[in-house]
Amino acid sequence: MKVGILGGGNWGQALARLVIAAGHEPFIAYRDKRPPHVLPSTDDPPRVSAACDLLLVATSAAEVRSAIRQAVPGPRHRVVVAGRGIDPDSGDWLTDAVRQECEAVRVGALAGPAPVDEILNGGLSAGVVASRFDEVRALTIEALHSSRYRCYDSADLTGVQLSGAMVPVLAAVLGLARSLGGAGVGLHAMVLARGLAEAVRLGQAVGADPLTFVGLAGVADLVASQALPGHPHFEAGRALARGEPVGTPTPQRLARALARLAKLHGVDAPLTRGLLAVYDGMPPIDAVTALMQREARREHG
Amino acid sequence: MRPATGLYAPRSRAEVIETLVTRAHRRLDALDDDTLQHLLEDTLYRERQRLESQAPVLDELDQLEALAEALVRRGRGARVTAGLALVRRWSNEIHGRFSLPAYRFASRVFPPALGALLAAAPARLGTWDVRPDQRVRVEGPLPLIRQLADEATLVLAPTHVSNLDSPIIGLALTLAGLPPFQYGAGLNLFGNPVLGWWMSRLGAYTVDRTKQAELYKDVLKDYSVLQLTRRHHSLFFPGGTRSRSGLLERRVKKGLLGTGVLAWQEMLAAGREDPEIYVVPMTLSYTLCLEARTLIEDFLADQGKQRYIITDDEFSQSRRVAAFAQRVLSLDASVVCRFGAPLDVLGRPVPEDATARAEAAQARRGYVCASDGTVQPDAQRDHVYTDMLARKLVEVWPRDATVLPTHLVAWAAWRSLEEAVDSTDPFRLVRAPVDLRRLGRGHFLSRLRRAQDAVRAGARQGRWHAELPSSAEGTLDTALDHFARYHTSRAVGADAAGLFVEDAKLCLYYRNRLAHADLEAS
Repeated sequence: MKVGILGGGNWGQALARLVIAAGHEPFIAYRDKRPPHVLPSTDDPPRVSAACDLLLVATSAAEVRSAIRQAVPGPRHRVVVAGRGIDPDSGDWLTDAVRQECEAVRVGALAGPAPVDEILNGGLSAGVVASRFDEVRALTIEALHSSRYRCYDSADLTGVQLSGAMVPVLAAVLGLARSLGGAGVGLHAMVLARGLAEAVRLGQAVGADPLTFVGLAGVADLVASQALPGHPHFEAGRALARGEPVGTPTPQRLARALARLAKLHGVDAPLTRGLLAVYDGMPPIDAVTALMQREARREHG
Repeated sequence: MRPATGLYAPRSRAEVIETLVTRAHRRLDALDDDTLQHLLEDTLYRERQRLESQAPVLDELDQLEALAEALVRRGRGARVTAGLALVRRWSNEIHGRFSLPAYRFASRVFPPALGALLAAAPARLGTWDVRPDQRVRVEGPLPLIRQLADEATLVLAPTHVSNLDSPIIGLALTLAGLPPFQYGAGLNLFGNPVLGWWMSRLGAYTVDRTKQAELYKDVLKDYSVLQLTRRHHSLFFPGGTRSRSGLLERRVKKGLLGTGVLAWQEMLAAGREDPEIYVVPMTLSYTLCLEARTLIEDFLADQGKQRYIITDDEFSQSRRVAAFAQRVLSLDASVVCRFGAPLDVLGRPVPEDATARAEAAQARRGYVCASDGTVQPDAQRDHVYTDMLARKLVEVWPRDATVLPTHLVAWAAWRSLEEAVDSTDPFRLVRAPVDLRRLGRGHFLSRLRRAQDAVRAGARQGRWHAELPSSAEGTLDTALDHFARYHTSRAVGADAAGLFVEDAKLCLYYRNRLAHADLEAS
């Protein structure tokens, strides 16, 4: 099977390696920098659409729409977004963004721990593909599942996308909590548990399965973001705590989108709001103090 | 020249029945032994349960006994044969008896007769106003829908308010210059031999909602697919049953709706030149509803499921129907039937331009065909496609619905009641004491004026349609007049002491037509 990959960056190349490991042929549509010659590629995205029924979108969340507009998938395509769940600009689920930009309706989302460098170097990993269409999940598993990468499937498209969006935010909060002067493992562990509770609360409000957050798209990805030295989202939180320049804008942009989503559904999301407050200039210690001084409540429910 | 509908070129009854039996046979043959056994046991159990509360026909019992014996003592062949005997019986029961002469007669005679009936209100005695188009307002993109009816097969998907919906839609189709549509009518409606004879000859087929066996539902779906592939324009009520609460449907049943995508694929696979099926949403907005009282009481009693088929409502009382027709349907625009923008079987808009439409139809094949053009069956995929269509219908119905004075006044009165009782719990509100149901006229008019402004603003934004007098006072007077015309107790009334909610249940029912509208700012 020829598998199209929209995006020729590290993540696109990592997916291409996984496709090869699964015994298939990747075909990458790149924009700026051509991937290594060993990976078939083109700077003409419609060529990829013409050659492949399955397209994996491996761009940043903000670039998904433009990638789709360039590749012009049609009714026969199955499009799986291997991204961060939510379009930070519109707040739409990325699969909805895909459907708004093209004629394809058979869409899905891939999430999970994605240590790109490890994958590029032959490391082992796993992910989960979610779609309302059985055939999209089956096709994606066929394209990616191998002895190097276990690809699980889920019908909880919303949950997988929400997890993908929550993880960078929670990773930044954890980075921030870990780097505050005087804070220790206790704060770190508390933020981890309450972050998951926040994700579950929001997930239930939007119709997701709470179990999805304790799976590959949620907990596993969050663990990877802390275990991987120099993870950009975790580092963004650390930089915030130290008052240093923040690298990636992803956690901040996703946090804004998630805060809007939480407000829309009347869900309390204190950690997301707290992170945004720090991004907006509140001293991190004040944000933590405000969170700690909230009234006692039941842990679940 | 191709007929405007497959109804005009009917197949023999025997051929239709045989086709349905053959389809069922093919489906049963495809099942493994366990699944077949389970399906037939389910059929036996549900049919026996049904017959416990109905007077059974003898050979019906014999067929069930034969099925029971086959399930216990006989092999696969006998089981299939016993199952198919039921399928044959049901197919005979379901299949309609459309008659072109009867239809032509009815379409010449019924609209003027209905117009005359509708004009027989006291205020119109002595006149011969036979213009049903004044009573039943038909709106929407009619030229496009007429064109689509000519080049494809249409599925009409209306909201379901009243048992009068079917005749009103029949009239609307005639007024819109569209051919007849076939539709499923409850078996209970065929109890009246005259009504049943006419319904069957005007395009109705029989649906027995007391039959809950999956095998029966499959025969119904097969029948729908078969008729769609024969270009019978069809009417489905996706809500399944009349809205008990007065709310616009927020969930729809996908069984019959899903036959559209199946029939489309069958026609694609057969290489038909006209395989397209388009779904036309429709909203029916009544000034008053014949069965409002029974429906809202059923809703409040939370007996919706137990009383899924109501047989003893106002529709079953011919005097009530006649009174309703004379007092309510005689009003100008007492019912607004709005045809919505057509959708494809995936719920996507259909282009108005013929070239763009043809291109879209060609491209649409990609949703179900492989690269080589062969149709790829996938029941799970089709289920999602139908779900997409269902969601779209639920999304567009409120936009197509028309706000009428009775709805708006009931909405404002209900809001005032909520304030007076300090609760939004409908069960508390319908039991509110008389003194709390009094509405201060000045305060009420002020609320109504703000709500009317919000409705007009919403109508300008395309969120819904509105047919309201120019002033809030006019809206109130119109609604009070209409409420007093039919129901024995009014939703909202007026006496020397002012305005009051007389019947809170009816007020809730009519208010619910606007429950989806965010008028809270008023």
